[in-house]
Amino acid sequence: MEIEIISFGQITEFINNQKIEVDGITDTDAFSKYIENRFPALKNLKYKLALNKNIVQHNTEITNQATIAIMPPFSGG
Amino acid sequence: MGAARYNRQIILKGFGEEAQQKLLRAKVLVIGAGGLGCPALQYLAAAGIGHIGIIDDDAISLSNLHRQILFTTADIGKLKVEVAAKRLQEMNPQIGIIRHPIRLQKNNTLDILSRYDYILDGTDNFESRYLISDACALLNKPLIFAAVSGFEGQLAIFNVPDQLTPGTNYRDLFPVPPGKDEVPNCSENGIIGVLPGILGTMAAAETIKLIAKVGLPLTNRILNYNLLTQEQYTISITHGKGYVIPKTVDEFLNMDYQDTSEGPQGYIEIDAAELVKLQQSESTILIDVRERHEVPVLDKQIFTQVPMSEFGAFIGKEFYQKNVVLICQHGVRSVAAAEAMQEKYGDSKKIYSLKGGIIKWRDHFLKS
Repeated sequence: MEIEIISFGQITEFINNQKIEVDGITDTDAFSKYIENRFPALKNLKYKLALNKNIVQHNTEITNQATIAIMPPFSGG
Repeated sequence: MGAARYNRQIILKGFGEEAQQKLLRAKVLVIGAGGLGCPALQYLAAAGIGHIGIIDDDAISLSNLHRQILFTTADIGKLKVEVAAKRLQEMNPQIGIIRHPIRLQKNNTLDILSRYDYILDGTDNFESRYLISDACALLNKPLIFAAVSGFEGQLAIFNVPDQLTPGTNYRDLFPVPPGKDEVPNCSENGIIGVLPGILGTMAAAETIKLIAKVGLPLTNRILNYNLLTQEQYTISITHGKGYVIPKTVDEFLNMDYQDTSEGPQGYIEIDAAELVKLQQSESTILIDVRERHEVPVLDKQIFTQVPMSEFGAFIGKEFYQKNVVLICQHGVRSVAAAEAMQEKYGDSKKIYSLKGGIIKWRDHFLKS
């Protein structure tokens, strides 16, 4: 299954926008686990996922060619 | 009344006299007269918002001028609120400008915010952003949120329902604030002046759309803007579950917004005079927690260099000094370092953080 990852802010420093080929990741909880394992720096940051441009508020099914955005909070002004 | 001033937007199809009257009747509060606040204020004032309040307790400094475009070099040292209000009043004498030269805190926020119809958050720290978001959610006030980081910005409107979703708030995105060392701020990480210019202007545009009821304001959506690619990515926001948000005034007043002035802490924030005193003691270690590339470079004989990126490895090591003074550029990272050391060493060491950092006490560091 192909998933497109889009990241923002300081998360772009270690996760580039990219398409990944993964097997066995069928929901957003599994995706979080996968991405935190692959990029451990993410574990220490606050971030929110968006699946196909919708904020993920509970575990949600991921289908082939989904886009997942990883968004950190910004406070600067 | 003043129709000639607003002629170009009154004759605009889809805007018109009615929309102009709505702007004139609106009361908008802009919090923070900084990189986001300055451009937002300029366009809100020019567009004819009838009442504009400005909150900021800060004075203008030289390093503000590349992005805070209401101010001139001659204004350095003056209060931002005063200079901004005067300038805006000159731009548009037909509107009312209300000055609030104060810092928002739990005990004054609800009172001030309740006097306005729309709140624009252009602050520069998470404490203020959560304080403002919670207050707006409690008061059910539309909140126009703009923030920047690096070359990117975020823009959203909270507490305004649309056909599908009741109003969402910032905690629906980020239930709790990040720790002090998690997210770098502008003064530590740098910011290109035009970026808050764009985001502040977009925040003014969203405010005007919301008041005039034109177009599709960013209600229940967050826009991510990238200056380097000119790309925008908009995400729909729905309600989150299980987060803590104050639902009454009492609950609000009991929240911990980590005001450094009132929070419980085991370390002590000091000024340069106290630093000098501590420096006399042989049992004091001075630690510069900035990264190795940062300037000004301090005398390494006096200041031990332990960058935040290496701090985890340093902490827990044995050293004889009783007093630990932590220093960084602006006194933000040093607080994070102080918290970490306090946790590790407890009462066995006295932990200090230089408030305001090297920039604030520049003269002291340049002569030493």
